[in-house]
Amino acid sequence: MNNVAFARRGPASVVTLSGELDLANAPLIGKAIAGNVGDDALLIDLTKVSFLDSAGVRLLDFIVGDMDDRGRAIRLVVGETGAARMTLQLCAFRDDLLSTDLEKAAAELGA
Amino acid sequence: MRERDVTQDLRVPWEEDPGELYEHAPCGYLTTTPDGTIVKVNETFLAWTGYTREDLIGLRRFRDLLSSGGQIYHETHYAPLLRMQNDVHEVAFDMVCADGHRLPTLVNSVLGRDPDGLPRLIRTTIFNATERRGYERELLNARRAAEDSERRVRVLQEIVAELAAAPTETGVAEALVRAPAPAFGASGGSVWLTGARPGELVAVSATDQGVSEAAAAEVARRGDLHVVGAPEEADGQLPGLAEAMREAGRATVVLLPLTTGPAADDADVRGVLAFGFAEPRRLSDSELRVVRLLGQQGGQALDRARLYDAARQREERAILLAATTREMDEEPRLTARAKRLVERLVPDVAEWASVRLQVGPAGLLAESGGPAPDADLLTAQIEEVTTAGEALWPAAGSGNAVLPLVVRGRVLGTLALRTGAEPGFLIDLADRAALALENARLYEQERAVARTLQRSLLAGTLPQDSRFVVETHYHAAAQDLEVGGDWFDAFMITPDRLAIAVGDVVGRGIDAAATMGQLRSAIRAVASADAGPAKVLKKLDRFVDRVISARMATVAYCEVNLASGTMTYACAGHLPPLLHEPATQARYLMGARSAPLGSRAGRRERVEDKVKLASGSRLLLYTDGLVERRNRTIDRGLDLMAREWARRRDAPTTGLASGFADLMVGQEHADDVCLLCLTLGTDDRMERSIGADPMQIALLRKEMRAWLASHQVDEESIQGVLLACSEAVANAIEHGYRNDPFGQVEVSATVSAEAVEVVVADRGVWRPARTDVARGRGLQLIRQVMDHVSFDRSAGTVVTMRRTRKGDS
Repeated sequence: MNNVAFARRGPASVVTLSGELDLANAPLIGKAIAGNVGDDALLIDLTKVSFLDSAGVRLLDFIVGDMDDRGRAIRLVVGETGAARMTLQLCAFRDDLLSTDLEKAAAELGA
Repeated sequence: MRERDVTQDLRVPWEEDPGELYEHAPCGYLTTTPDGTIVKVNETFLAWTGYTREDLIGLRRFRDLLSSGGQIYHETHYAPLLRMQNDVHEVAFDMVCADGHRLPTLVNSVLGRDPDGLPRLIRTTIFNATERRGYERELLNARRAAEDSERRVRVLQEIVAELAAAPTETGVAEALVRAPAPAFGASGGSVWLTGARPGELVAVSATDQGVSEAAAAEVARRGDLHVVGAPEEADGQLPGLAEAMREAGRATVVLLPLTTGPAADDADVRGVLAFGFAEPRRLSDSELRVVRLLGQQGGQALDRARLYDAARQREERAILLAATTREMDEEPRLTARAKRLVERLVPDVAEWASVRLQVGPAGLLAESGGPAPDADLLTAQIEEVTTAGEALWPAAGSGNAVLPLVVRGRVLGTLALRTGAEPGFLIDLADRAALALENARLYEQERAVARTLQRSLLAGTLPQDSRFVVETHYHAAAQDLEVGGDWFDAFMITPDRLAIAVGDVVGRGIDAAATMGQLRSAIRAVASADAGPAKVLKKLDRFVDRVISARMATVAYCEVNLASGTMTYACAGHLPPLLHEPATQARYLMGARSAPLGSRAGRRERVEDKVKLASGSRLLLYTDGLVERRNRTIDRGLDLMAREWARRRDAPTTGLASGFADLMVGQEHADDVCLLCLTLGTDDRMERSIGADPMQIALLRKEMRAWLASHQVDEESIQGVLLACSEAVANAIEHGYRNDPFGQVEVSATVSAEAVEVVVADRGVWRPARTDVARGRGLQLIRQVMDHVSFDRSAGTVVTMRRTRKGDS
């Protein structure tokens, strides 16, 4: 799938999403993430996401819940502006989850 | 007559005494014993040698009278020969006389033997050979002189050959300085050449220090050959020469002017060759002749070399002038051309060069090299030269030359240089530079006029209509080219028909700008409600037949029917329009192609093609400068442009054209670029019917984004509307049609200056949202981003949403 990319950064997995994340592709992206990240901290970079709907929010919510349950750290990186930030703010995601800076978020995860 | 008896001596009239004959014979007689002891001698011998009989008889042997060399010869040759063959003839001996002087003689001897064959006595006749020896010596001397002369001539020939081959003055001087040693046995030589100024003498080559420069200068002035036999002879005659001779240990010195002809002919002196001898030396007449000849040959060779040097310098100057002119011509702009000039001159011609031109309010200055001269002095000099129109030459060996740059009697500016170059060349240089700079100035002037003309022609107002937006952009080449013939136009033919065109006229400059204006007017004149693009092009062909400068002009011409949403277009040799419709790839309109206007060889049958333009379509007309690059094919350029055009699908129309030009060509582009963007179907209403497939939502979003953007809706509102619309459609698909994969979702949207309103309707079965937390979040989002939301569930579900637009987009 061309709008999901995986990388590692120290102890954290980094998932970079790009393009639109919506009802049409959220399930596939969810499966791709589940199959590619390890049992460690997770960084999801949403700065290149041009659209995020509630299906995408549902997916991110699920992933955050799962990580919390397993006691693993997670950060979502969003731009200062943009579709992802707008939707996530509208859905009132916790401030401690969001970051605008990939480097800072990675540092917080100890990466 | 009685027969004569030749056996008898003739009787002479007087008595011939045999004793008298012996004593006074015309030759000397000696009789010796076999060991050489003299036993008898005649008076003639005694008279020749100055001996008395008492000195010789019984006391001396024959060999005792010989010189020491003669004695050796006597031992080794004379005596053995005599003993072997009994006689010896014409042996040359020097007799040592009583007073010690030598008498050259020729000696014949006969050995007499007794009946037993034993040597008894030797009879010897001695002939005086004084005269003969002198003659022989003379012969020998003559031969030696001839050999010397031949050697000198050979040396001279070699020198003359060397002189002829020497291409430079230095080469000639070096050949000359090598000559005296082999030719005259001199111990070395020095050469001075006359300098540019009268009386100036420059030492160029020396292997001998025995001559003072002052003496050489004096000889050069006099123009005569000087042979100084001793230092004392030089005193008071030639300055400093006596000292120099003594110091270098020279007994004789020759100072030879190098003249262009015989001294008698008032020939010019080109230099001086001097050479010396450690021993006193007298030069023979023939040597002196050779010396004089050497002086002439040397002088003429110097003359040749000077002419050759001058010719070569002239050639180098000519090449430099041509190169400078050519290099200046490569730069059309005035500033760049002036800069090119000074950079070309430093360091080849000058250490420092500056050009000042009286153009514009501030003037123009280009400078190269250094250090720059005193600014105040230079300013004064420039003012003087500018006023007088005459060049200022530097004081000998230093300072600046300041030359006026004059064209058609007008002083355009000045060229100042610190240089040793000759005035003739500099004047030539200034002439050419002035012409090249004046041409550049005229070019600048024409360029400015052409730009103004072009701007004024393109500055007309574009049609304003709520159904479309036209954006144009003209980008002049960054490099120094004349204005191009690129142009655009957009006008209303009827209230419902929009004409747009982009074209390119062949050529550059004022002509191109004027032609472009004519062509533009022509299109406006021939376009009519019932003509259409093909007919317009046909009429333009007829127009171009009369306006030669418009021949081979290209044009892309489109007429848009705003009522039906269709476009008819035709391309006369022009690059194809690029169309991007919502939710599709950008594509080039490759139909309706025909030859450039007025083409003879091309297909002139004018055709047109019709396309349907979806609302929100964006059309780009452009000139080749937008896609053509030297380092890539036009196909690649077109591919790249289509991709970039599609990427800017949602960009606001304001600044779209200029932004796209910047993106495609950057700031450093080599050609003019002209483009026209038409954004169509900016209808205030948009209606779509989509299938119950989540994949369709993305397409809807794309189309809606473009439509909203074309209405200048702000980005935040666009994001909000797209999110709400997506959620509403998703809701309809997920819930309303969860059991109906063929259900249709109707979406209609309207935009006004104040708000955007979206209605999403399905005919599915409503299911309360509260049973699904996640879906509830979608509805929640809709409520958050839209200012007003209402649900009508009487027949299926109709969601009506409205968002108020922000002030300015």
